[in-house]
Amino acid sequence: MDFSLSEEQEMFRNYVRKSLADFEGTQVARKYLVGDVNALTEAQASLTELGCPSLNIPEQYDGMGLGALDLVPIYEEAGAVLLPGLMLETWSFASPLIQKYGTDQQKQDFLPKIASGEITFSIAWLEPESSYRPAGVQVTAQGGKLNGKKILVPDAAIADYFIVVARSTEGREEAGVSLVIMPASDASIQPQLNIDSTRKVAAVVLNEVAFDQSQLLGEVDQGWSALQEGLLSFNAALSSMIVGSLDRIVTTVTDYANIREQFGQPIGRFQAIKHRIVEMKMDLETARSLAHYANWAYETHAEDRVQAVFSARIFCTDAFNRVAAHSVQIHGGIGFTEELDCHLYVKRARFYENYLGSTEQYYEETAKALGW
Amino acid sequence: MDFSFTPEEEAFRLELRSWLEENLPEGWVDGGSNLEKDSKEYELFLRDWQRKLHDGGWAAIAWPEKYGGKNASLMQEIVYHQEMVRVGAPPLVNYVGLHMVAPTLMHIGTEEQREKYIEKILTGEEVWCQGYSEPNAGSDVAAIQTAAVKQGDKWIINGQKVWTSFGHMADKCFLVTRTNKFEKKHKGITCFLLDMHQEGVETVPIIQMDGEHDFNEVYLNDAIATDAEIVGEVDEGWRVIIALLMHERTGIGAQVFTLEKQFNELVELAKTLKEDGVPVIEKQMVRKNMVDLYMKSRGSLLNYYRNLTKALKNGQPGAEGSMDKLLVSELTKELFANSISLQGHQGVLWKEDAVAKDSYWQDQYLYSFGQTIGGGTSEIQKNTIAERILGLPKDMGR
Repeated sequence: MDFSLSEEQEMFRNYVRKSLADFEGTQVARKYLVGDVNALTEAQASLTELGCPSLNIPEQYDGMGLGALDLVPIYEEAGAVLLPGLMLETWSFASPLIQKYGTDQQKQDFLPKIASGEITFSIAWLEPESSYRPAGVQVTAQGGKLNGKKILVPDAAIADYFIVVARSTEGREEAGVSLVIMPASDASIQPQLNIDSTRKVAAVVLNEVAFDQSQLLGEVDQGWSALQEGLLSFNAALSSMIVGSLDRIVTTVTDYANIREQFGQPIGRFQAIKHRIVEMKMDLETARSLAHYANWAYETHAEDRVQAVFSARIFCTDAFNRVAAHSVQIHGGIGFTEELDCHLYVKRARFYENYLGSTEQYYEETAKALGW
Repeated sequence: MDFSFTPEEEAFRLELRSWLEENLPEGWVDGGSNLEKDSKEYELFLRDWQRKLHDGGWAAIAWPEKYGGKNASLMQEIVYHQEMVRVGAPPLVNYVGLHMVAPTLMHIGTEEQREKYIEKILTGEEVWCQGYSEPNAGSDVAAIQTAAVKQGDKWIINGQKVWTSFGHMADKCFLVTRTNKFEKKHKGITCFLLDMHQEGVETVPIIQMDGEHDFNEVYLNDAIATDAEIVGEVDEGWRVIIALLMHERTGIGAQVFTLEKQFNELVELAKTLKEDGVPVIEKQMVRKNMVDLYMKSRGSLLNYYRNLTKALKNGQPGAEGSMDKLLVSELTKELFANSISLQGHQGVLWKEDAVAKDSYWQDQYLYSFGQTIGGGTSEIQKNTIAERILGLPKDMGR
């Protein structure tokens, strides 16, 4: 019995932490928020220097050949400072999908470039007035042309490629959906305002955008099941990213409760404050356990991997919203300002709540995976 | 990361499993018996079971060999709890003696006390209870008022204890008394190994909200103890109390595994129980609640494993145990509350009229309210977590 990250993984965490410390907490996110991408580029470069993007890529494609668990400390550290960018989408969605469903050519084209940090991927899935369900996919990928409109495409402006979820055969079912890898430059991008401006979203308009067979990821009409596989990897990673944020919130709020004095004593002495922080801590520790297990289950193909990953995601997104909100309340007036980071976590928590799948759907997916 | 058990641990499991197959008492089915819980027969049944465990070498596996234990590792204790929970073994009537009193005596008792008590704790010849709480000392244990006064070579004890589990079956009591009044109330406490079979000790049953009788009031009217029955030093009993709590190192594990089992039983209930011919597990609200329970109970099990990993690496459990206790007890309440809700309008039917499993769910639901009170309330656990794990300041007045 050993339910902990390995010494190597913890050591790697320290490198990542030190490297991100140079960027002073949430400063990268705050700069990105006002449209300054340079800080993000620098932060990414320093993670690339450590080899982060190459961790879970096979050695033959210039990677380190490690797995999902090795990414956990990186995501936790990135989550702590709300690092923007397409790490999750590139490293834990696109990359595993290409590794599993990609052609040899696609692997050669993309994996080494992901490993070297040269390219990023975003996901074009949702459409106006639709949902994450198969029926919602109505953008067409037919006759060598992509047509339609995608919305809420994450960080479209800094992505090099989109994985477009599109309908190759008309209908409302799972069958008939395909995944198309498309250069971002082929699309027209219309920014959408987002409550969490540290993750920017955009509408992507596809008007007779040409593609060929070589751009299909996986079999034609069979994209839906590939998508599900990608979501397993993605959600395990997302859970870890959130754990990092939770950890930072709990540390910050505990420090504040120890320092801030009212009625002649630190507010952390009042049980009304203290017990709320303990509830936050309990959420954090449960989230961490579920997230670590989810990554382990994904990496080792455990029998319960689907329910482990999806339930971790539900718990983490839910806990993130709870804990971030508590943090504002405990900080009081100053917690309500733009000056402190509290609001950044609140907004990111909301961003992730229904990101790449809804809470409602993941509840149902978990129930189904449990055989109910 | 590795969730497997070593071949040695698995061999230990098989050894216990085959012993249990041979030795689980007759009439003990599915975690319960037909005996009235508040009867002499039930008490004798439990004493027999403890004796049987001892004969098989399974009563106190964590004890050193020289006291009749197996010197079991932490992991062997985990395996032990898993197997006991799996077969739904009868409760240990001498839990207090085995897991608290005896280890404390091994640690800080006199040689004479070890010889006098430990063997009889192991065999179940002497059953122990704990005399801590009083009407005015619940969470605030140090506020106890039961007084022990030295007269000649005897101590005369007067006062009242409450919530004394097994008090009506007990032969001995680990009794906490006040022997001195200092400014600090933690000073001046003395622990006695009190004989329950004497004129000055009267035990009165308390009926709980589940209709059962586990608790008692214990009245002490000129009860008598001797110097030889004092644990540790006079007036220094608080240290003994703390030491005693430390010896309870894996009890929470049993609760975590029990919760896991109860969750699986609840899933079965939700699959078999029908409303208008449809299993309730197909109802949207039930599904959502069940997934919530699934992830939270998995979370508590995994938290436990993570804390256990830490304990294995450090050689001893840390303050994280209070997080496990808080989570598991709150979750147990939530689970049984859900079990009543999902029975819909029939949820209120009780005893022989209950719709499922001989009123198991109703009984456990009512019993579960005690989980977040006994052994330290959830509020006390939260104080402990806040102060010992997070480093927040202590309340005024403590």
